[in-house]
Amino acid sequence: MTGEIIETTAVESPAVAVAEIVIPGREGGHGHGGVATLLTAAAVVAAIIGFRAAVISGSASDSWQSALRTEVKRSAAAMEDVNSLYQTELPIAVRILQARAVQSELLAAAQQASGPTRAALVTEADVQGQLITALSSSSELATNSSYALDSGGLDLGKALADLRAQSPDLLALDPDGLESTGDELANKAQLTILALIPTSLAALFGVLAQPVRSRRRLLLGLGTVALAGGAVMAVAVEVLA
Amino acid sequence: MIAPDSAASLSAERRFDLVAAVLIGVIAVLAAVLSVAQMSSSQAANRADLEAARLAADLSARIAVSGQATDSALGLQQTALMLAIDATAREEAGVQYSDPASLAIGGAEQSAYDKLKAILAYTSDTTGGKPVDAYTAGLLNATTQQLVAEVQEQNHQVDLANAATSSEQRAVLGLSFLALAGVLTGLAAVLREGRGGRIALSAAGIMSAAAGLMAVLALV
Repeated sequence: MTGEIIETTAVESPAVAVAEIVIPGREGGHGHGGVATLLTAAAVVAAIIGFRAAVISGSASDSWQSALRTEVKRSAAAMEDVNSLYQTELPIAVRILQARAVQSELLAAAQQASGPTRAALVTEADVQGQLITALSSSSELATNSSYALDSGGLDLGKALADLRAQSPDLLALDPDGLESTGDELANKAQLTILALIPTSLAALFGVLAQPVRSRRRLLLGLGTVALAGGAVMAVAVEVLA
Repeated sequence: MIAPDSAASLSAERRFDLVAAVLIGVIAVLAAVLSVAQMSSSQAANRADLEAARLAADLSARIAVSGQATDSALGLQQTALMLAIDATAREEAGVQYSDPASLAIGGAEQSAYDKLKAILAYTSDTTGGKPVDAYTAGLLNATTQQLVAEVQEQNHQVDLANAATSSEQRAVLGLSFLALAGVLTGLAAVLREGRGGRIALSAAGIMSAAAGLMAVLALV
């Protein structure tokens, strides 16, 4: 109805300028299509950007979660190996080292002694010898010559390295690498979602183009540029990052 | 002729449309800004949470393994000392009961103690040494200072997670305000220029302003 009034009085009334700007449905589709297209395109691009950013962000979270799981797995494996060496193998090996040292000194003392003293020293040395024989079968640490130090001790570093090398897959666990991957993906997701800003500006220009008819062309142009900027930014991040 | 009041009405309607359009545009921009802030905060909170959990797991392992290495070294020293005590006891018994055999065995054990002490010291020194992998060596050789620094970093990550979660909550609150603003703008568009429409538009403006404030707070 308002449209009808203006149509009949437009030539006569100074209000024609106002009427030209504001009356919906009176513009005969001039520029309407542009606004609708720009807004629709902005909405579609924004939806794609948002979805893609969410997917990348989800992948980043997955990587971080994996880093945590891997960290727990790695530490559990290391603790298990250290436990095995220091709590199970080392006490027996040390007992063997002690028996060897005592036996060696007893035999040395026996060579200097005679009579019952010598017999007692030899007997005691034999006890240590039997102890060594009994325990040696259950201690690779004390019997494997590759773990023997020149000084007479045991190379726990080498023994632990060999123990760890028995499970190369556990030794190769790298939570830091997974975390870095997560960081890279998170960075990509943030750069991707930043493309929403120019896309939203396109929507802003598009919406303003509807009532501000006098600047519609300019606003639609700016909106198109902003939308293109957002789309290019999103594609560039996708390809380059 | 168009009546003057009709012209005024058209002008008011134009303003109404313009304000509604600006509001919709602002809502679109704020939605984008808040989405960026929400995702950024969410990721920061998520990462800091998981990093704190990682550090906690690493700390547990370091404390357990380095403690075990320390206990082992002490245990080796005790083993040697026990031999020395045994040697002394035998020698004393030999003197007390005039038993040359006990004295001789005690003397041999005393010599063995000196030897064993050196052997076990060399053995302890190889703990965490090459060719053990760097990670396991780090667990074995962790010092108290390193553990304290790691605890501080772990606490820092927890603080970061809390701060990021607060930012995320602000962003979500802003998005909620924005949703309300969108609904109110839609309502205003339906009611058009009039008291109801103006109230709805004003309320949408207030909600948008609140969302803008939340966006600033979330980003700061």
